[in-house]
Amino acid sequence: MKRISLSILTTALVLVMIIAIGTGAMHMSPWQVIGILLKGIGIQLPVTYTEQMPAVLWMIRLPRVVLAVIIGAGLGVSGAALQGLFRNPLADPGLIGISAGASLTAAMLIVLHVFLPFMVSGSIFQTYAQNIITFLGAMLTVLIVFRMSVHGGRPIVSVMLLSGIAINALCSAFTGLMTYVADNEQLRNITFWTLGSLGGATWQTVLAVLPFVLIPVLMLPRMASALNVFALGEQEAMHSGVQVNRLKTQLIIYATMAVAAGVAVAGIIGFIGLVVPHIIRQFTGPDHHILIPSAALAGAILLTVADLLCRTIIAPAELPVGIITAITGAPVFIWLILKEKRLIAV
Amino acid sequence: MLVVKDVSLSFGNVPVLAQMQLQAQPGELCVLMGANGAGKSTLLRTIAGEYKHYHGSILLNGQELHHMPVDAQARQRAVLSQQLNLQMPFTVAEVAAMGRYAYRAAERLYDKEIITYALKLLQVYDLKDRSYPTLSGGQQQRVQMARVLAQLLEAPDLHAMDYTGKKMLLLDEPVTGMDILHQQLALQLAVQLSRQGVLVIAVLHDFQLAAAYAQHIFLLKNGHVYAQGPVDTVLSPPHIKHCFGVDVSVLHHSLCAYPLVVTNTAATLFSSSALQATNAY
Repeated sequence: MKRISLSILTTALVLVMIIAIGTGAMHMSPWQVIGILLKGIGIQLPVTYTEQMPAVLWMIRLPRVVLAVIIGAGLGVSGAALQGLFRNPLADPGLIGISAGASLTAAMLIVLHVFLPFMVSGSIFQTYAQNIITFLGAMLTVLIVFRMSVHGGRPIVSVMLLSGIAINALCSAFTGLMTYVADNEQLRNITFWTLGSLGGATWQTVLAVLPFVLIPVLMLPRMASALNVFALGEQEAMHSGVQVNRLKTQLIIYATMAVAAGVAVAGIIGFIGLVVPHIIRQFTGPDHHILIPSAALAGAILLTVADLLCRTIIAPAELPVGIITAITGAPVFIWLILKEKRLIAV
Repeated sequence: MLVVKDVSLSFGNVPVLAQMQLQAQPGELCVLMGANGAGKSTLLRTIAGEYKHYHGSILLNGQELHHMPVDAQARQRAVLSQQLNLQMPFTVAEVAAMGRYAYRAAERLYDKEIITYALKLLQVYDLKDRSYPTLSGGQQQRVQMARVLAQLLEAPDLHAMDYTGKKMLLLDEPVTGMDILHQQLALQLAVQLSRQGVLVIAVLHDFQLAAAYAQHIFLLKNGHVYAQGPVDTVLSPPHIKHCFGVDVSVLHHSLCAYPLVVTNTAATLFSSSALQATNAY
C-alpha cells in the first residue's frame, strides 16, 4: 500500500511539473521540456526546440515550479504533523497562527529593516536571516495557541480554533499597523506577502527555502511511530513509552519551520496544509508512516497545480496563488467542519 | 514488587493521596476499591508515572519511579486507562500494534505473533481490519486490552514465560462497558497474568467481581489505605459501611465459591423526612 501510493504520487508530481514547466506565454511540449532538462545533465534527445526555450525554462519556469514543489511539500507535511499533534483533522498552519505570525514578522522586517544593521540587502544571507526571523515569529504564535488550547493535559479543539482566531486577529492588527507606517514600495511588498504569490521565484529563493523544508520532510517521518501512538492520547502515549514533551516540541519546531520559510518568500498560502492530509487519509488511512511522505508529495502537486492555474487563468496577467488556494480550500474547510461537527461539539 | 511509601499528592490545595502506604506482590491480583474520590484512580495514575509531583517514594522492583526513563517504564508496565478517545480511523490491528512501541528493534522479532495472539485472546481477531472508531464501546475496550497485553508480553504465549519481577499491569476500571461474558474473560485473563508473575493492580467498583477474582483488596478512603488483605477480611459489613456509607450483608452460598455482598435496602439512604416530602408531592 505504502509503495503504491508513494509511487503514484511521485509519478503524478513529475507529470504535473513537466506540464507546469511547459505552460506559459512561450509554450513548450512535454517532450521539449524533457529534452531541455536532460540536455542539462548531458543527455541529448532527438527533440527540436527554439533557442529561447532553454533560457526561459532554466531562468523563469523551473525555479518557480521547484519553489512551488518545495513550499507545497512543506505545507503538506506541516499540516499532517499538526493534525497529529492536535489529534484533530481540523488543525492547519493557517488556522493556528503560524501563517499570521510569519507574515507579521515578514511585514515587520520589510518596514523596519532599515533599523536592523545586519540585514544587508540582496545577499543570500539576508534571505536566510529573514527566514530564520520569520520562523521565530511563527514559532512564538503557534506556541501561544498551543498553550492556550491545552486544558487538563490535552488540547481542546474548540479552544485551539478560538485561540487561533484571537492570535490571527492580533497579528493582522499589527500587520495593519505596519501597512499604515509603510512607504509606497514597502506597501506593495506587504500586500504581495499577505496575498501569497510565487511570482518572485529565483534560484536564490529556492536555495533560501530548501533547507527549511528539507529538514522537516526528512525528520518528520522518523517520528511516525510515535505520532501514531500519540493518537491514543497524551497519557496513553506516555504509558506506551513515548517521550511526549520531546515529541510535541519537535513537532511544533518542524511544522513551523516547513511553513515559515515558505511564508517568508511567498507569503500566506492557506488551506494546503489542511486539505492535503485529509485527501491522503481517505486513501492510505491514518498511519503517519505513509501519511507524512504522501502529504509532502500531494502538497507539492497541489501547489504546483494551483500556481499553474493562477498564472494561466487570466494570462498574461497573474492571480496571487493564495487567492486560488483560499477560494478552493475554504469550501473544503466548511465541508470538514460539517463532517466533524460531532467532534468539535465535545 | 511494588512499594508505595508515604506517598502524598495534592492538586492545588486539595490533598488526594495522604501518606499512602502500599505493597503489592507479584503473583497476586490486587484490587483497589473505595468510594468516588477516595483516590483509587489517582493512586493508579501516580504509579503509572502520570503525576510527577508526588512526595514520598514509589519503588518498582527496587527502582525509584522518578529515575526511570519513560521507555524503560513502558517496557516494565502497561496501563489500561478508563477513558480513551481515539478518533483517527486506525484499524484494530494497528491499535494493538501500538503496544509494541517501547521495544527496541531486537525485541520486536515476534511483534506480529504477539499482536495476533493478543487479539485472539481478547476475541477481537476477526475485527482486526475494522476501523477502531466504528466499534462499540465494549469492543473498543477489548481492543485496548489487547494493545495493553501486547505491550506486556514478550512471547506469543501467555504461559511461555515467567514474568516475576519484570512486568506490572495497571487496570483502571477495565471491565466498565463490557458485557458479562467479556467481563469474566477480561478478569480471568488478569488472573492468568498474575499467575505468570505479572503484578496486576486493578480498580474495580463491582463487589461481586472483586470478591470472585481478587487475591488482595486495598480498600481506600480519603487518600489512604483503610483496610487491606484477602477478600474475606476486607469485604466486611462494617468496612463497607465505613467506606461507602451503605449497609450491606455478606452472604455465603454453597453454589458460590466467594462471598456475596448485597445491599440491605437502598431506601434507608434517604432521610425519612425527604421521603415524606416526595410522597406528599
